[in-house]
Amino acid sequence: MADVVMTLEMVQASQLGMKAIGAGLAVGLTGIASGIAEMAIGSAAVGATAENRDVFGLVLLLTVIPETIVIFGLVVALLLLF
Amino acid sequence: MLRPEGMRRLLIAVPKGEIDTVIRELYRHNIYHIEDFVPESESPDELSIGHPLPGASDAASALIKVRAIENACGIDPDSVEIKEKIPASKVRERIRTDLPAIQKEVEGLVATRSKLEAQKKEHEQRAKELEPFAALPLDLELYRGYIRFTVFTGHIRHDVAIDVPHEKYFSDRVDGNMIAVVVPNEHREEVERTLLDSGFQAIPVPEEAGAPADRLKSHIDEAREATTGIAGVNQRLAEIRDRHTDLLVACDELLTADVERAEAPLRFATTEETFITEGWVPEDRADGIRAALEKATNGRIYIGELAIDDDAKVPVEYENPSFASPTQVLMDIYARPRYSELDPTLMVAIVYPIFFGLILGDVGYGAILLALSFGLRKFLKGDEGRMLLSVLTYSSISSIIFGVLYSEFFGAALPWPALIFNRHLNIGGAAGGHPPQITELMILAIWIGILHITLGRILGMVNARKLHHGRHAAKAAIANAGWIGTMWGILIMIWSLYAIPLMPDLTGLPVVAMGFNVAAVVGAVLLVAGILGIAQENALELVEIPTIISHVLSYARLVAVGLSSVAIAMVVNFIAIGMLIQPQIEAITPLGVILIIFGVLVLFVGHALNTALGLLGGGLHSLRLHYVEFFTKFYKGGGKKYNPFGMKSKFTEE
Repeated sequence: MADVVMTLEMVQASQLGMKAIGAGLAVGLTGIASGIAEMAIGSAAVGATAENRDVFGLVLLLTVIPETIVIFGLVVALLLLF
Repeated sequence: MLRPEGMRRLLIAVPKGEIDTVIRELYRHNIYHIEDFVPESESPDELSIGHPLPGASDAASALIKVRAIENACGIDPDSVEIKEKIPASKVRERIRTDLPAIQKEVEGLVATRSKLEAQKKEHEQRAKELEPFAALPLDLELYRGYIRFTVFTGHIRHDVAIDVPHEKYFSDRVDGNMIAVVVPNEHREEVERTLLDSGFQAIPVPEEAGAPADRLKSHIDEAREATTGIAGVNQRLAEIRDRHTDLLVACDELLTADVERAEAPLRFATTEETFITEGWVPEDRADGIRAALEKATNGRIYIGELAIDDDAKVPVEYENPSFASPTQVLMDIYARPRYSELDPTLMVAIVYPIFFGLILGDVGYGAILLALSFGLRKFLKGDEGRMLLSVLTYSSISSIIFGVLYSEFFGAALPWPALIFNRHLNIGGAAGGHPPQITELMILAIWIGILHITLGRILGMVNARKLHHGRHAAKAAIANAGWIGTMWGILIMIWSLYAIPLMPDLTGLPVVAMGFNVAAVVGAVLLVAGILGIAQENALELVEIPTIISHVLSYARLVAVGLSSVAIAMVVNFIAIGMLIQPQIEAITPLGVILIIFGVLVLFVGHALNTALGLLGGGLHSLRLHYVEFFTKFYKGGGKKYNPFGMKSKFTEE
């Protein structure tokens, strides 16, 4: 087997790639998590709104509360990339 | 400002003879919030609920008629433009003279319309039944009246061969094909089986005579005639609407006022000779209404003032400077403040647009939203909608200001470099000059979070003294101070261990023990003192300590959401201009023109989508930071809405 020789540029490039993968995973996985969390809240919110139009503002708010998860993911991704 | 409007609790007692005058006077002033009387027991010597004034049921039934006419003509009083106010006496006159005629006409038209609609439905149904038979060359009477023969009519998948004596007609001109078979009675069962094998579905023969095609045509014609008739009726209803809208909304308003006045005694307590009512009036207008009532009744009235014992019972009316009052709609979505607590509307009115601008700092998007907030005023007539649009106006102005500071116009740079922090990402290799200052922006957002939450806790200390009494108030105030201490303790300890840009660097201070320096010790002391402060009120609250970190970090969304919107804008620009339009413009070809048109389309759709996302992201996330991170620190809410007895007349005048 031939020895794998890595130059400095290759190492740097692969580090950059790893960072990009990490950032992608951070946003993607937290996005999925937010989606799962919002799924139940969202369906309950639609039901509640159908019963009583007045709660629309409140349930819209409750629905976006799990958004924090993906925001944290986005923050981590941005910090990784820049 | 920062407090709801002061209220005074009045007790009014009047002899039964003066009740009409008093109700009229209260209604005219439109400031008295009636506390509904609830009888405590059924016994006859207690106070009981009053009876409606005479004329209540007449006014109510007239109101129902007016509402029915409005309904039939499609008039919505809320969205009618006010042209001129009609004097009440003239409206009353016309209720007697004109209204019965209008009512009769409208009722007649509505009856005609429903009759025509029934006819239309019937003819359409008949036509539908006849349609398959029109495909066969037989008159309808030929299908029935046999003794020795059986007739099968219906849909079938395909034509079938029948091996007994029969007469058969098949057509594939209609949906699902059509077959009619006449067989002697003795072969009925086997023919039926053959047919069923090919998916036969029987349909009954319509009870009519003549050629099906002619009958079909006549039903269709009649249905069409009925449709024209309905259109004619609608036309006439529209004419009535155009002619009488002003009168109808005026009648509606006048009669609603009549009914509300006549039914007011149902909310009062009565003895044999008097009416007693309890209610609330704003502090600065209490003396005015007292004087007015005494004058109207020539002093035959008792007005007393009661002490306010329970702040949950006091109706709450906001008192804010006019620029902050639209923000009240955002407060009402969460909860109206309690009477004795701080009203944070003013703070929200200032901070909300700033947050919105920080997130969506872009001159282009800001301008679109500004135009939208003015354009939509034509369509949104309700008070709440108008208030939301005013909030949007402030927010989009703030967005434009931040756009100038960030130097952003639809994601592209303006002719000057960013004046505060640079948000231009390196997408498509377009961004030159400074790299984006993401870390600095994040730390700025964290600073905003720290200060906003500290402000929230300080307000919590103020509120604790207002909402609680005695020792509990002190405990609650100390707990809030404890939360501030814990947060700043953690911060100072972090600063003493790590040097963070844009934050105080405390790492260089002299070391005291075990590698910890002075600042770390101060931080630890603050932290422990803070935790003790929280625990002395309620030890269970300690499980909430991690929320200090998550709530502060949550403010990072001010940057993160904004950056994602910048990224989308830049990607749209890069795809549309950099990849599609620019290369084609250099050497124009027929295919290139199509690509340029496509590029322009991508540009428009992309930015329209991003405007919507920006509105949603900027609006909801700023709101959420207030509701979840800010209000939870001090705000209780749950005040009753101040709903004075009376109305602002729009269409009539006394």
